Amino acid sequence: MSDLLLVQGLRLSYGEREVVHGVDLRVPAGPYGLGIIGESGSGKTTIARALLKLHPAGSGSVTFDGADVLALKGSALSAYRRDVQLVFQDGDGALDPRMSVLSSVSEPLAIHDTVPKAQRRERVAALLDEVGLPIDIMTRYPHQLSGGQRQRVVIARALALEPRLLVLDEPTSALDVTVQERVLQLVEGLRERRQLAYVLISHNLAVVDRLCESSVVLYEGAVMESGPTRDLLDSPVHPYTRALRSAVPEIGVHRPALTRITAGASVPSTGCPYSERCPLVLDICRAQTPALRDVGGRQVACHRADDVANLLA
Amino acid sequence: MSRQTPDLLPAADLAGEPRRRLSRIWPGWGSAKRVPLLIIGSVLGALVVLAGLLAPWITPYPQDAGAVVHPAQTLLAPSAAHWFGTDMVGRDIFTRVIFGARVSLGIVVLVLVVSAVVGLTVGLAAGFFGGWLDSVLMRVTDVFLAFPALLLSVALAAVLSPSALHAAMAIAFTWWPWYARLARGQAASIRRQGYSDAARVLGASRTRQLVRHVLPNAATPVFVQMSLDAAGIILTAATLSYLGLGAQDPTPEWGLMVAQGQPLATTAWWVITFPGFAILLTAVAFNFVGDGLQTVFDPKRGLR
Amino acid sequence: MIRVRDLQVSYGDSVVAHIPELDLAAGQVLGIAGESGSGKSQTALALMGLTRYAGGSVTGSVQLGGVELSTLTNKQWRAVRGRRMAMILQSPRASLNPTITLGALFGRTLKLHGVPRAERQARMEQALVEVVLDPQILSRYPHEVSGGQAQRFAIALVAALRVDVLIADEPTSALDVTVQSEVIDVLRGLRERHGTAIVFISHDLAVIGELADQVMVMRRGEVVEQGPTSQILHEPAQQYTRELLLAVPVIGRTR
Repeated sequence: MSDLLLVQGLRLSYGEREVVHGVDLRVPAGPYGLGIIGESGSGKTTIARALLKLHPAGSGSVTFDGADVLALKGSALSAYRRDVQLVFQDGDGALDPRMSVLSSVSEPLAIHDTVPKAQRRERVAALLDEVGLPIDIMTRYPHQLSGGQRQRVVIARALALEPRLLVLDEPTSALDVTVQERVLQLVEGLRERRQLAYVLISHNLAVVDRLCESSVVLYEGAVMESGPTRDLLDSPVHPYTRALRSAVPEIGVHRPALTRITAGASVPSTGCPYSERCPLVLDICRAQTPALRDVGGRQVACHRADDVANLLA
Repeated sequence: MSRQTPDLLPAADLAGEPRRRLSRIWPGWGSAKRVPLLIIGSVLGALVVLAGLLAPWITPYPQDAGAVVHPAQTLLAPSAAHWFGTDMVGRDIFTRVIFGARVSLGIVVLVLVVSAVVGLTVGLAAGFFGGWLDSVLMRVTDVFLAFPALLLSVALAAVLSPSALHAAMAIAFTWWPWYARLARGQAASIRRQGYSDAARVLGASRTRQLVRHVLPNAATPVFVQMSLDAAGIILTAATLSYLGLGAQDPTPEWGLMVAQGQPLATTAWWVITFPGFAILLTAVAFNFVGDGLQTVFDPKRGLR
Repeated sequence: MIRVRDLQVSYGDSVVAHIPELDLAAGQVLGIAGESGSGKSQTALALMGLTRYAGGSVTGSVQLGGVELSTLTNKQWRAVRGRRMAMILQSPRASLNPTITLGALFGRTLKLHGVPRAERQARMEQALVEVVLDPQILSRYPHEVSGGQAQRFAIALVAALRVDVLIADEPTSALDVTVQSEVIDVLRGLRERHGTAIVFISHDLAVIGELADQVMVMRRGEVVEQGPTSQILHEPAQQYTRELLLAVPVIGRTR
């Protein structure tokens, strides 16, 4: 199966400061979900912005359906804009406060003129229905909607151009758990109905577990571990993945924090970026940055990966 | 917190049909009626505008707005025939005050339109495109802002021949940089909003981003500022006239009328009082409107 | 320690929270669960006597260690807040004064609440050890620390003030999961070492389950269900509680 999206060695910077240090991603044609798991500062949102060409790429390659995304211009870029859409973390900020739901959701139709003007209202109604919103919401403004409704409107707008790939950047982290649950169900439904492929960015492992076949664990702009989501969460190898896994609150289960709490916010300038918080840290971790390598069917960047894998086995 | 709890808002608030039609044009309508100052200011402002428009029909001596002299009836005190009295050449002051609304409002509209167009263009271009264009435009704006506005207007008006039109141009010349600054800040912050990113991701052209998203969101605070500024413009225009740099006799300009009446303040109080009161009333009306709009035009506060 | 009877918080004509009965002993943790608009944050404000500053009013009785709080004057309240009760919020960095260092802030806070000068340094150091912060953090400004560190610093302040009751309103909701579990560990330590009673507010029942001894579930200003944590989490009596529990994302549920 050929890949819909292929990212290789992507490096991204803010000014002089590099925040993403060579990341590889692979998304086959849908229905398929790739999870990017990371906490604040991991560079995950910058990656999302780079995939949507909102942030310039430093180096590396991004290929979508065989085309070099970083070089896209003119009509090819316009086509890419139809094929790849972004769902934002904050549904509030993602909607123009002065535009009604109808205007917001029909804007992509107007920009690309894919639907004749007379049929746009009808099309918007169908989209709203698809994301589970009542039709009469069309005349409302963002501030008149709840957080969950706003996020659905954002999803409806993203779907308007019938994209082949969605980038979902923390789509539920600003929502209450009950609302989150309903939005996740919506994404699950869309995935099957529309044969969607998506990149789901989240710090919540349970969310990624539910929606993604494979996942990448990101820490300070570097991949710590990647592979099938199930393997990653059932038997995490990298100490950071293990810490993430154990930090997910579960009812009736208590696990102590697996990270070493640090006093400083510093990321070490040499060696493994996680060494400062890692409970298994050795001298070599501080001296030498571990490379990604194959460990038991997945990629792990840890000097102690074999020790951990043996412990698990 | 109220932002996240729309389910606590009364549903009826969103249901009414007339409300929905109006809010399509103006989302803040729902609360306009809850701002009494705005109502008072609008009514007063409307009265001034109406007075100006209908001046020829509602004044007893329309010809007194021009260059006429009635030597027999100079400086008459207010009476049934002359409600506001007459001036030193015998013209009816009531007539001239009503006609003065035309001049003052004309100056206000001219100044606001010119400065808003220039200010918004410069500010939006600087804030939206950023980079070197931003630096150049804002340095130019700063040069204008470096001089005290009134002083600059006075200097400019002094160079031009004195007239109401030239006074308006002189004021506009010093007025636009404030709008440019304001619009620039707005545009720069809107550019960082999620919905600007969304527009780019959807493939919106720069023109579309500017016209559909940046302009409407950046213009609102500028409009509010404009209504607040109207009072200031009336006062500045009056100041220029008072200094002899603006409108010239026989133009019935309020500031000029005050200037002319000043030497007579102790002997014929009505000459200075009624035009002065007209300035005050109009300034207050516009200020009320500006304050009210500021409250109402915030789309988030609008619904509360 | 805390005893609430028929507490009602209202803004104008609308009642935003109503708590018929609530008792919290020293060293106990009460979790309040609910969605936005459930009244959980309004309950927190009322317990801290802050409702009037938000423009609302409170009726009913709140007692702290046998002292009725609802009749206190503003001045008397100031002697309660910071000495006997304290509150931490979702975004601690926003509530720390950005113009002074954390050390200066710490010193001022202790001084304000009457800790003798001789004791301040020792209390500061001990509190920082408890929340596992390096003393060098005291020379930093709020924007120079991470969200998790700021929250732990806020808890250190609470520990140093030795308050009887801590109200924590969504203290981990803005934090990453690994940092969230660190903060919960720190709160657990606070309760064990000082016997601090904690009111822990969250929309996530799983997070509440990590810490709370008893749980109160709120919806639209009313208490839906109230009881020991294990009962609420494992044998919920109300449909709404079951919905909240089902909404908690769980790894492996859909496989």
